[in-house]
Amino acid sequence: MDHDNRDRNAGSGGSPPGKIPGDTWADGLPKGRRWSGIAWSLLFLLVPVLGSAVFIVAPYYDHWLPKDVSVHGKSIDGLFYFILVLTGVVFLATELILFWFMWKYDAAASSKPATYIHGSHTLEVVWTIIPAATMLFLAIYQMNTWADVKMRRPRMAPSVEVVARQFEWRLRYPGRDETLGTEDDLFVVNDLHVPIDEDFLVQLKSMDVLHSFFLPNLRVKQDAVPGMKQPVWFKATETGTYDIVCAEVCGWGHYKMKGRVTVESRADFDRWLARIEAEQKATQRGPEEIPVAAAD
Amino acid sequence: MSTVTQPHAPPKETAHHDHVATRGSTSLSTFLSTYVFSKDHKVIGLQFLFSTLVWFLIGGLLALAVRWQVAWPWSDVPVLGKLFAQHGGQMAPEFYTMLFTMHASVMIFLVIIPILAGAFGNFLIPLMIGADDMAFPTLNMLSYWFMWPAFFFFGASFFVEGGAAAGGWTSYPPLSTSTVSAPGSGMGQTLWLLGLTMVGVSSMLGSVNYMTTIILMRAPGMTMFRLPMTIWAMFITAILQAFALPVLTAAGFMQLTDRLIGTGFFSPEGNIINNAMSGAGGGQPLLWQHLFWFYSHPAVYIMILPAMGMVSDILTTFARKPLFGYRPMVYSIAGIAGLGFIVWGHHMFISGMNPALGVTFMVATMMIALPSAVKTFNWLGTIWGGRIHYTTAMLFAISFVSMFIIGGLSGIFMAATPVDIFIHDTYFIVAHFHYVLFAGTAMGVWSGIYFWFPKMFGRTMNEFWGKVHFFLTFIFLNGTFFTMHILGAVGFPRRLADAYHYETFHHLQPLNAFMTWCAMGMVATQIIFAINFFWSMFRGPIAGRNPWNANTLEWTAPSPPGHGNFDFQPVVYRGPYEYSVPGCEKDHLMQTDPPHPAEAAAAAAAHA
Amino acid sequence: MNASAHSISHGHDDRDAHGHDDHGAGHGHIVLQYQPGLPLSKGKLIMWLFLSTEIMFFAALLGSYVVLRFGAAVWPKPHHVHLSEPIGAFNTFVLICSSVTIVLALEAAKANKVAMAKNWMLATLLLGTLFLGIKGYEYSAKFSHGIYPAQPHSRIYEKPDLYYGAAVRARLGEPAMIEQLKALDDTPEDKLSTDEASARRRLQKIRQMVVSPDQQPFDLAVVADQIMPLPSEGSGGHGGHAHGLNDTFPWLRLPAVIPGGNMWASTYFLLTGFHAIHVAVGLLVFAILLTYRLDRKRAGMIENAGLYWHFVDLVWIFLFPLLYLF
Ligand code: HEA
Ligand code: HEA
Ligand code: CUA
Ligand SMILES: [Cu+2]
Repeated sequence: MDHDNRDRNAGSGGSPPGKIPGDTWADGLPKGRRWSGIAWSLLFLLVPVLGSAVFIVAPYYDHWLPKDVSVHGKSIDGLFYFILVLTGVVFLATELILFWFMWKYDAAASSKPATYIHGSHTLEVVWTIIPAATMLFLAIYQMNTWADVKMRRPRMAPSVEVVARQFEWRLRYPGRDETLGTEDDLFVVNDLHVPIDEDFLVQLKSMDVLHSFFLPNLRVKQDAVPGMKQPVWFKATETGTYDIVCAEVCGWGHYKMKGRVTVESRADFDRWLARIEAEQKATQRGPEEIPVAAAD
Repeated sequence: MSTVTQPHAPPKETAHHDHVATRGSTSLSTFLSTYVFSKDHKVIGLQFLFSTLVWFLIGGLLALAVRWQVAWPWSDVPVLGKLFAQHGGQMAPEFYTMLFTMHASVMIFLVIIPILAGAFGNFLIPLMIGADDMAFPTLNMLSYWFMWPAFFFFGASFFVEGGAAAGGWTSYPPLSTSTVSAPGSGMGQTLWLLGLTMVGVSSMLGSVNYMTTIILMRAPGMTMFRLPMTIWAMFITAILQAFALPVLTAAGFMQLTDRLIGTGFFSPEGNIINNAMSGAGGGQPLLWQHLFWFYSHPAVYIMILPAMGMVSDILTTFARKPLFGYRPMVYSIAGIAGLGFIVWGHHMFISGMNPALGVTFMVATMMIALPSAVKTFNWLGTIWGGRIHYTTAMLFAISFVSMFIIGGLSGIFMAATPVDIFIHDTYFIVAHFHYVLFAGTAMGVWSGIYFWFPKMFGRTMNEFWGKVHFFLTFIFLNGTFFTMHILGAVGFPRRLADAYHYETFHHLQPLNAFMTWCAMGMVATQIIFAINFFWSMFRGPIAGRNPWNANTLEWTAPSPPGHGNFDFQPVVYRGPYEYSVPGCEKDHLMQTDPPHPAEAAAAAAAHA
Repeated sequence: MNASAHSISHGHDDRDAHGHDDHGAGHGHIVLQYQPGLPLSKGKLIMWLFLSTEIMFFAALLGSYVVLRFGAAVWPKPHHVHLSEPIGAFNTFVLICSSVTIVLALEAAKANKVAMAKNWMLATLLLGTLFLGIKGYEYSAKFSHGIYPAQPHSRIYEKPDLYYGAAVRARLGEPAMIEQLKALDDTPEDKLSTDEASARRRLQKIRQMVVSPDQQPFDLAVVADQIMPLPSEGSGGHGGHAHGLNDTFPWLRLPAVIPGGNMWASTYFLLTGFHAIHVAVGLLVFAILLTYRLDRKRAGMIENAGLYWHFVDLVWIFLFPLLYLF
């Protein structure tokens, strides 16, 4: 019986063939060199070091959040930074601890036996409660921003209707009567104009498949779902021309479904509208030519 | 232990004899029944392993093609270009959409899920619980053979009219249901759905079998709380599969009928696609997303829990220390699985779903970080105070922990609904899931391969080349994927064949080129692994039963185990992690070692 | 901990059931002992687990039905789509009876009454077949009204709009149809029943309406009402079956208007179709079981088949009210 057990349990009776006898620890595992333990722990030290370095350096090379030109963008970015710091601390702490344990508890570093311990009730409680409290705080802390951006819709008629379609953005301004779906609606493709410092409400639709209305600089993103109307609102704070990106795969031309959003003063905006109106009258461009989503 | 009689069958030593005795046999039918239509869980496990490794390679090559286009859009693709692309060697945009769709589908459905549950689950479950095979060997064999239609459907989809599926691995309708909406939305998409169904059938057959086996076929003394973490993880993964997968199967059928007979479940009324009125209507595109993510969020845990289990076992073995917090580890797996069912909406924050629902999903998602935190801290606790041996398997296991932290923490950004508005569908997400899936799970898989290779083939893999493989993979993977966070911070959108015509993103090409170089390095590194793997299979040093001096039951069986696995009746006396028990002459007490006097003393001291 | 050793089962009886014999005789590996965590046989446990996956499958389908139905702008009343509660209720009854007979078969097998077990099993098989037969009859009634799951065959329109008018016109313009209409027109009045005669007059009126290029939506609503009237609440005789032109002249097969009818058909055929497939699988299992001697040794198999059958029954108990009553 005894013999059997040794045979079964102790690595086929001593060191397996192919390993030089004596080149093992008392536990029968191959003997490592101290320098290799050091090297491997340093490799893992690179993770927090280079990891944070990348995040520190990137902004200097403009590889960072694009310029924010909207009101709620500030609070979204604020949250981003808040989470970055929070997770950054957790990241550094855990990775450094990992490195330190690797360095310190290398079998080659000491002949002390491993600590015989099965866990710690206190520790388990502590490291459950602290993250729980943190996460709960985070969840509550961000709700207000979420509500501002997606739930507290400004009480106003839509400033523009955006209808996404393979592979362009069809825009419809309400015109002089400020109501959509009337004779004097103005039609534009891919060229959104927005007055600065005013609440702007987009009514988003899709004609065919899913698209996503993404304005990186305004921190706006909303999927356009056929058969549904999505309200999207924002307040731009800086004039300029920025990208409209389609952020939901919508077919082969997804990559080129590009539009432009121009933030301008109220006066410029009105002038632009007037120009569109004149152009439209001149060319007799009417609603028949621009089909809109049937689902209203 | 009086009722258990230890049979006195003398252990037949010599791995060779125990190994399938028909090795040299020339009889075709024995060959077929032993290696092809085998019902032996070990053979089935290895069949899964080889098949998934082949698909891993294919998925990796598809990834390279993706990376090529992202780094140097519209430039001639080296090898693949001649095969597929239309305009010279240049890639067509619709081909790009097929590439990332099939890359992800292959990786998820044909690699990660089957390699964890199919390969490791099959190979390890009976061995680690002390059973001679699965509860239903024939069912088990079928679960492997149902993968073949899936292999066929996925593979064939590239060669049919219109090409492979192109709606992303998420296959959102109406793009995926309307056959006119995209080139790859034709036959390719139908094949994709059929393949998915087959994977579903295979997983379902596997998972009910695993659960039955684990519940009914544990060795005497192997109580649930003496199971190794690998088995716990496999068990809970099987539960997840059994409960989540049928939902996807149902959804897949609905999408299939939408495509084939126009049921319109996912198509809204009056849709105009490609200037044509789409057929039936009255359905809801968002319904698919709910059904899909109801499965696919639990699925991401299906794709990591087994790796977590294996890593737990490997960390303890090479730290020569008991697992820190065994029960919390078990409960946290269960917690992840349970919470995993109620967070699917975090993929849909900006999908048009009611924003109030988004809030509840956000809170649930935040909570899922807790069990993950418990696991992470317990892994750190496990190596604390240990005697760490830097074997290749251990290095991969440690890197799993290190990388999972990164991938998990990036999940927090996305769980925060307002932040997700900006980073949704950007490379931040791509960074997140490659950290958990590739840097996490795949590293765990490699760790498992290096660790259990001796049990699988009776020989150990070459340690030196293993470490070279680890080092290069580790460096290149971080080069490829860490930088994706930065791309994501700029808002660089995913699934774009060419984003540089946007003013916001045009300066990101050099960074992308760097990442592609790293990705190429990463794939090239795998040549080392492949050579090491096959060379060691035939030439590696003979391992013996327990080369790592580990505790669990599989190490008491011959390497490789013969039919019936054990040449003696395993009886379990303790949990799987009794390493370095003070006062014990060996530094490990196997689960089958008879009770040791030092043990009781140590236990008393530990609880004092 | 030692207590666990008492519940060790002897792996013996399980072995021969699952064909280990293919391993060749020479190996003779030892027979292992296990410590089962539940007092269930492998077969029964895996059956329960399998059924839980089935529950999730049907939960997904039913959930989708609920979402689609309550998300839809309109949903037809059961009578609009020619659903007949009595038939559905009878079918429910049939299925419940079959659940009883399978239990009786199990009891008989347990008592080793082989012949009786066989008879009850046969009864179950027949009841299940009857269920499918009735289901088939219901399906064919739907098909004859142009209610198909398949868009290309479906003759259901959501509203009497221009598309609808075009479809009616197209149908009336088919060469075979023109001939049949001509034959109808030429039939002397006295060869027709009064019903048919009045229907012929209405049909002629509709044909005039439809061919005129500038029909109004109002007219089309009238057309739709003539072709297949939607019964109002409480009215509409047998199975809600109001009489329209399509009913008088079944060969007409003119497009009909049922608001929400297409999505209704999609979900109806999805749910009942998957249920029917499950019934068919159950029948197959019963047929196979009938080839065995249904004695005590087979009780386990019968029990598992019965579990499955009860589940199929249970699903129908959910489907019936959802589809027929609400
Ligand atoms: C194995 C796979 C895996 C795993 C484990 C996870 C884990 C997590 N995922 Fe991930 N996820 C994916 C795979 C995975 N994910 C995939 C494939 C997608 C994209 C699908 C697609 O769109 O194509 C995705 C997308 C995805 C989204 C959607 C993003 C979007 O599309 O906009 C979100 C949003 O909430 C999310 C969140 C999380 C969270 C919170 C976790 C958590 O479980 C992580 C928890 C872990 C930790 C937090 C780290 C360890 C903990 C500590 C060190 C403790 C201390 C920490 C704190 C106090 C913060 N994931
Ligand atoms: C498990 C999942 C998994 C894995 C492992 C990977 C691996 C990789 N992925 Fe993938 N990826 C996804 C899942 C995965 N990915 C998903 C879900 C998506 C989203 C798709 C969508 O949007 O729909 C995605 C999308 C995605 C994109 C974004 C495309 C886009 O949105 O436009 C990119 C771009 O860089 C990318 C790159 C890579 C790279 C470079 C790897 C590399 O790590 C690959 C490295 C490969 C190897 C190293 C091969 C190793 C081979 C062996 C080990 C075999 C040895 C052989 C024998 C022994 C026989 N992936
Ligand atoms: Cu539109 Cu992507
Ligand atoms: Cu998720």
